[in-house]
Amino acid sequence: MTELSSGSSRVLRAAVAAIRPRGHGFDQPIDDAVLDEMQRYLARLPAPFRLLFPVGLRLLEWVGPALAGRHGRFSQLAPDEGRSVLARFQRLGGPCAGLVLGLRALVFLAFYQHPTVLASLGIDWQGRADMLTRQRALLLARTAGEPPS
Amino acid sequence: MMAEANEIAGPLPPEHRLDYPNVTCGATVTGNLAWHADVVVVGSGAGGATAAARLRDAGREVVILEEGGLHRVETFTTDPGTMIRRLYRDAGTTMIGGTPPIIFAEGRCVGGSTVINGGMAWRTPERVLRRWERELGLAGLSPEAMAPYLAEAERILHVEPNAEETWGRNTHLFLRGAAALGWPVARAPRNMRRCVGLNNCALGCPTGAKQGMHVTEIPRALSRGAALLTHARVDRVLWRGWRAVGVRGRLVDDAGRARGHFTVHAPLVVLAAGARHTPGILKRSGVAARQVGRGLHTHPNAKCVGIFDERIDPWIGTHQAFHIHHFLDDGILIGYAAVPPGLLAATLPGLGPEHAERMALYNHMLTAATLIDDESEGRVILGPDREPYLLQTLGDADLRRLQRGVRLTAELLFAAGARRVLLPFGDLPELSSPEQLSQITAHPRERSTIELMTVHIMSTARMASDPAHGATDPQGMLHGARGLAVADASVLPGSIGVNPQVTIVALALRNAERWLDAS
Repeated sequence: MTELSSGSSRVLRAAVAAIRPRGHGFDQPIDDAVLDEMQRYLARLPAPFRLLFPVGLRLLEWVGPALAGRHGRFSQLAPDEGRSVLARFQRLGGPCAGLVLGLRALVFLAFYQHPTVLASLGIDWQGRADMLTRQRALLLARTAGEPPS
Repeated sequence: MMAEANEIAGPLPPEHRLDYPNVTCGATVTGNLAWHADVVVVGSGAGGATAAARLRDAGREVVILEEGGLHRVETFTTDPGTMIRRLYRDAGTTMIGGTPPIIFAEGRCVGGSTVINGGMAWRTPERVLRRWERELGLAGLSPEAMAPYLAEAERILHVEPNAEETWGRNTHLFLRGAAALGWPVARAPRNMRRCVGLNNCALGCPTGAKQGMHVTEIPRALSRGAALLTHARVDRVLWRGWRAVGVRGRLVDDAGRARGHFTVHAPLVVLAAGARHTPGILKRSGVAARQVGRGLHTHPNAKCVGIFDERIDPWIGTHQAFHIHHFLDDGILIGYAAVPPGLLAATLPGLGPEHAERMALYNHMLTAATLIDDESEGRVILGPDREPYLLQTLGDADLRRLQRGVRLTAELLFAAGARRVLLPFGDLPELSSPEQLSQITAHPRERSTIELMTVHIMSTARMASDPAHGATDPQGMLHGARGLAVADASVLPGSIGVNPQVTIVALALRNAERWLDAS
């Protein structure tokens, strides 16, 4: 897992709060799990991304709110204010847009694949995998005339 | 004892019981390694594994080097985060620089991209082979000459169509849309053995049905005496004059961090590290030939998401049982896929409640995509950090082809019954009726807002008789050098317009035969 500084972690937590889905059955209290999963992912990014990511977070923290005409730091904003800051930050294009798109991708991947969220969507992909793996083993064993292991 | 989360109770499929002898995990080696062999193969994907197995069959002492780890099928799960971190290079974050940028994903594991591809197994189109024969003087690549190698590739990969009982609702809707428009569909040949329709191909098939190199040629080559070193990242080729005599590199951990060094000395070096890293290794090795890294083709994909009134449950049923090849001569292929919610979510607009509103309809979504046979040629360059980077900007003709492909795909979704279609264009994100389809092609879309991805890159060390046209000769040997062959998608002489797996395997079979004849 990548160890972020407390400052970077604070900005990341605020970004999760702003980006994560809300309403429509997506109110699961899983921000901590989303943050943990994001940090596992960050550890596997290429070195330039890993090095630049905290820089981007600091930029978002200090410059982002001013872009949207707000005072203070990004990590102090309410989620709806954070969303408008992120939208403005993305419109800057270049690395700023890349940071917002990357944060979206990581938050959504961690959020929507969380077991409680999958359950709320009625998706049991892993259960289906286990069932179909057994089914295929039996099918192959039967057709090959060999006993299953 | 409690069962592990992904442990299967009861019988096991054969792919869960495979032996992988002669494997050294570079991540656990302390100190440096120095090996000698007849052949060193860099990469264990479609081309590398095939070449390694053939050369071992012919009695050569073969060492296979793979930068990623060996992940056994029984450890595969359906969690995208876990599997992308394990199996994908750069955790799936590689970008092709250009306007628009293109997301590129490739495998970094034993078996390479065959572990994470969709299992599509099309033969090289005949018109493509004829073009290579006619325009590039590659007489040995005529359809007649390639037929036995393509057939052998299909045998190795265990190519068969999906059984009808594995089709999901998304397949039936795709067929309904095509039928309504009168477009013929092509039943996809896929490299699998008794696929049961889990639809987890892109994250590694936990059932073992997909017959990638990790369950076919790699274990076969190892059982016959080939050696495999995992977590081995090649930095450069070693030379004696113009002759390649081995490779040198670093042992890395799962996150890619260096631990030690290795050297493998061999009179034949086969590069099969993929169309990004093969030219990267060549460039780092002092190969100055102008054609190395040139000619990049990427088969850009653009997705459309149809939203239906009826529940589809897109996660149930087989992956891409059909394609539409009706527009292939125009450079357009249309397919569909089930994308896990966490991955599809990143491609849908919005944040917070707005995003939640869209994703609440996940089970009503059919994701279709168009793949274009790109004319624009990109290239691979070395960055300041000596890593290879991909560059390609789509030309006007490709942009027109892409817009037409998206329009056709959206048309199919409406014909299948979609109420709305989400598009890959920032300046035209959604259509709510088929009457709006003409907007897609009314004028060129804003390039920087087009959302594209690909899993096929090729032709960056392409075969050509004339060194002015390609980095490798018609046998896949590097022009102007001895003892250095290329056996991955880099050698494809151009874009082929369909999934390249079978073509890569067939060319590796063909070329390995010629390397043996010459040695």
